[in-house]
Amino acid sequence: MSTETHTDGTRDGHDEITFEDVDWEEFDGGLEWTRTRVAAYLTMGGIALAWLLDSLYGSRRDPLVDYQFGPVEFAPNPGNVEWLFTLTLAVLFFYCLVPLYQNPRRTKHYWKEFKKNKAAVASLVFLVFIFLVAVFGPFIVGRPELDLANAYQPPVFYSYVPGLEGGTWEHPFGTMQSGEDILQTVVIGARVSMMVGLIGCLMIVVLASAVGTTAAYFGGLVDEVLMRFVDIMLTFPTFFLILFVVYLYGGDLFTIILILGLTTWTATSRLVRSEALQRNEEQYIDAAKNVGASERWIITRHLVPNVSNTIITAATLAIPSLILYEAVLAFLGFGDPNVWSWGRVISEGRGDLQNAWWIATIPGVFLFLTVLAFNFLGDALRDALDPRHE
Amino acid sequence: MTMTDDPLLSIRNLQTYFHTDDGVVKAVDGVSFDVDRGETVCIVGESGSGKSVTSESITQLIPIPPGEIVGGEVYFDGEDVTELSTGELQELRGGRIGHVFQNPQGALNPVYTVGYQIREAIDAHHDLSKAEARQRAIRLLEDVGIPEAATRIDDYPHEFSGGMKQRVVIAIALACEPDLLIADEPTTALDVTIEAQILDLLRDLQDEYDMSIVFITHDLGVVAEIADRVVVMYAGKVMETGSVEDIFENSAHPYTEALLECLPGQSNLEPIPGTLPSATDPPDGCRFHDRCEYATEECRVGDQPALSEIEDGHGVSCVHWQRGSDGLPEPTDVRGPVRSTGGER
Amino acid sequence: MKAYIAKRIAWTFFATWVTLTITFLLLDFSPISAAGAEFVDQQVQQGMDADEARELYQEQLGHGDTAWERYTNFMVGLATFDWGWSSMYSQPVVDVIANSWIYSFQYVFPATVLSVILGFAIGLYSATHQYTKEDYAATLFAFTGISLPNFWFAIMLILIFATMLGWLPTYYSTDVALLSLENAKQLILPVIVLSTAAIASEMRYARAESLEYVHAEFVKTARAKGLSENQVTIRHIFRPAMVPLITILVGDILGLLFAGGYVIEVIFQIPGLGLVSYEAIIQQDTPLVLATVLIPVFIAIIGNLVQDICYTILDPRIDFGDR
Repeated sequence: MSTETHTDGTRDGHDEITFEDVDWEEFDGGLEWTRTRVAAYLTMGGIALAWLLDSLYGSRRDPLVDYQFGPVEFAPNPGNVEWLFTLTLAVLFFYCLVPLYQNPRRTKHYWKEFKKNKAAVASLVFLVFIFLVAVFGPFIVGRPELDLANAYQPPVFYSYVPGLEGGTWEHPFGTMQSGEDILQTVVIGARVSMMVGLIGCLMIVVLASAVGTTAAYFGGLVDEVLMRFVDIMLTFPTFFLILFVVYLYGGDLFTIILILGLTTWTATSRLVRSEALQRNEEQYIDAAKNVGASERWIITRHLVPNVSNTIITAATLAIPSLILYEAVLAFLGFGDPNVWSWGRVISEGRGDLQNAWWIATIPGVFLFLTVLAFNFLGDALRDALDPRHE
Repeated sequence: MTMTDDPLLSIRNLQTYFHTDDGVVKAVDGVSFDVDRGETVCIVGESGSGKSVTSESITQLIPIPPGEIVGGEVYFDGEDVTELSTGELQELRGGRIGHVFQNPQGALNPVYTVGYQIREAIDAHHDLSKAEARQRAIRLLEDVGIPEAATRIDDYPHEFSGGMKQRVVIAIALACEPDLLIADEPTTALDVTIEAQILDLLRDLQDEYDMSIVFITHDLGVVAEIADRVVVMYAGKVMETGSVEDIFENSAHPYTEALLECLPGQSNLEPIPGTLPSATDPPDGCRFHDRCEYATEECRVGDQPALSEIEDGHGVSCVHWQRGSDGLPEPTDVRGPVRSTGGER
Repeated sequence: MKAYIAKRIAWTFFATWVTLTITFLLLDFSPISAAGAEFVDQQVQQGMDADEARELYQEQLGHGDTAWERYTNFMVGLATFDWGWSSMYSQPVVDVIANSWIYSFQYVFPATVLSVILGFAIGLYSATHQYTKEDYAATLFAFTGISLPNFWFAIMLILIFATMLGWLPTYYSTDVALLSLENAKQLILPVIVLSTAAIASEMRYARAESLEYVHAEFVKTARAKGLSENQVTIRHIFRPAMVPLITILVGDILGLLFAGGYVIEVIFQIPGLGLVSYEAIIQQDTPLVLATVLIPVFIAIIGNLVQDICYTILDPRIDFGDR
């Protein structure tokens, strides 16, 4: 397994191909501004700036642009969540897809490992589908609207009484109590779940790696204080912490995502710490110290990239619980009343099980499958990326 | 040595295969040898040669599945062990056949006291009261040379050193006074000084308990110390078998010779070139032909040659065992001058 | 070992104190606290005297003029079991809790026992029969169990067994005696929903931990002694695996059961702590919300302590110098 193409030579003796190597050349280029990096910084900076401008000067009601392509209407009026989601997608693109594309050999190796797990491959296909639906779906199928004339339409191929006219392709998944189309709510719900899962995941990655590597690198009192704090946070049952904070600080989607991110990073940070502690012992850290690299430099350029396997795996495995937490909050009615979360639709269908089973059932199937797929995916990633875990 | 006509253990054409994702691994493929009463037989070979699997096949300690004993017989005291039921096998294990394994650090369960683990072995075969079993456990610990056995019995394994742990493991194996002790590289993980102590202990215990020992090792130095007879294994086959004198003074198989040359103290320490052949797809002919300096066309076809009896009790699986006399040229490279014997037969 | 346990107890107190302080800070900085005036207005609109309302509010939040005063009031109140007044029930919070815990306990307890037994048993079986059909089936079940949103699962079970088949009641009724067959019947679905996720989670852990030992040397030693397969499995695979498993029992399963219970009580209308908490949130009954949130926290903290003590008993190797 000779993948030692690194120029610095500090990684010699490390004989496993790992995700950790992905960004290495780039990171080790130091201040060298590669084209990818410039593009990444420009894109993310641009999104952040646009977000700032929009929240300062934008209007709540008017969309940014308004285009009509036949049946497809593109008229985004992004709120904070949408901006953050866009930023997350940019990070995902530059720090996952681009490195994978730039290192085809390693990508191939991962794929070979990953491919062995059939359930994970199916999950990946399903999640890519849900992801595309989440990103583009709402602009294609439109948003659910009140339509009292079409209330309680059954889904296609189903009718209340056999023989009677049943559901139509007009509303393939049927409609809700006030005539909202369930297909549309499912599509919007996919977007909500993806936003919660991916943004929350990014927050966990950032917080957990910051705290975990800092604790591991400095050790001593810093480590003690940070890890004891993590201990206490871990004692707190997460669900009740989230519930309590949502109760106190409100439940619009942006706040809920922030709360979810801020309350779920602790377990991952502990993993990252123990991993970084092992790495801290390795030669390349010493080498970096010897040439006089700053502490921040060592942490961000050497420690974080080398524990990225652990971080990525743990963060992926955190996505299902993030999605479930949001769905439960929405189900309980503590969520954002303006957002069609899957949890909320299920909650609304709960009172109508007798005559409209599909309202609660259909979004639930998607919620279940999405969570299941993320669980399979995380499990397979752990097998493929983490050589220590059997 | 009591050499009677009916051996205590007689393995006939044993075949143990493992079914893996990569195919069937023929870990042990047609192994035969005998162990007489009171005798110590050493199985020698590189790691991966199938010697451990052979020893674990005797009482079917190999994981089944993926392992499977596909053929052959194992006669213990005249009875074919491969035909026994699970219950009968359990009776045999730890009862008439004791086992000692390679790694004393891992061989004891960390959450139980050593006393408990010895008593467990006693209770599995005898109906003793707790106090009686405890007394017996203390006596066993004394027998294997653990000082202050009566107090150490309530200690946990992590409170013992590696050598002491191995003594405890031996005590467990001896708990029911077995007729046969199977020791699978019991000294490999230990320091050289401790190794010598354990070997001494085993010799003493063999007399005291009047048992036979099957001793597995890759270290010919140990073989010279302890063995009465030797079985040389390579890639799941027996290459040569004979008394310890036969093997050391009169070895007939090129593999045995190569092994002997790896012994420290030999003037030219030469590693055997090449690696073990594929276990899933072994080569035709002699398993060793790839690495053998004498190999000819004959060696590359058919199956492993049958054991040819050179003299009483000394068998060799090589088509060229008579190579000195049948005019086959000696290899041209320079061999160690101290080599005691070679192909002069 | 005694010093170690003493240290752990001291740490527990410290952790509790930090937790409560964080809780106080969250509470004190929240808009709810700032909205005291609004609260008083509300109460007045509902026909309460203004002074009385203000007093009630102060009593509720441990309100004081300075942050320090509020903090000490809050802490002393909690420590002395003076947990405030529930406006929703017009009762002290402690009384509300005392009346409702049994409704939660009656199904959480059986679900816990059931999930621990089944979860560990299936996990152990799966580990000792790795890569068999049964193992794959168990793994599939585990993934399904941890992925099923319990609220949706509950609704689906209601749809099938109550609405469609009519075998079981849709809602929990408090009219029947706690120790009656009727009551047991109406708890079937809650117990199933609650234990499914817990079983799935536990068996995954149990399988993973047991696998660490299935191929251990000492398991071979145990087999070589002549122990039966059952003895080997229980004594030499499960018993050492118990040590790490204890950790997840408190850390993960407790949280899972409490969170699951909350949702289940709302769905089945079981008047336990979860439903009380839910209604308190809807009614903005802050002292009651606080109490119902802190109870699981206290249980978790105590659970952690018990877990660490169990650890010292189960694992003779534990290094008491740590911490």
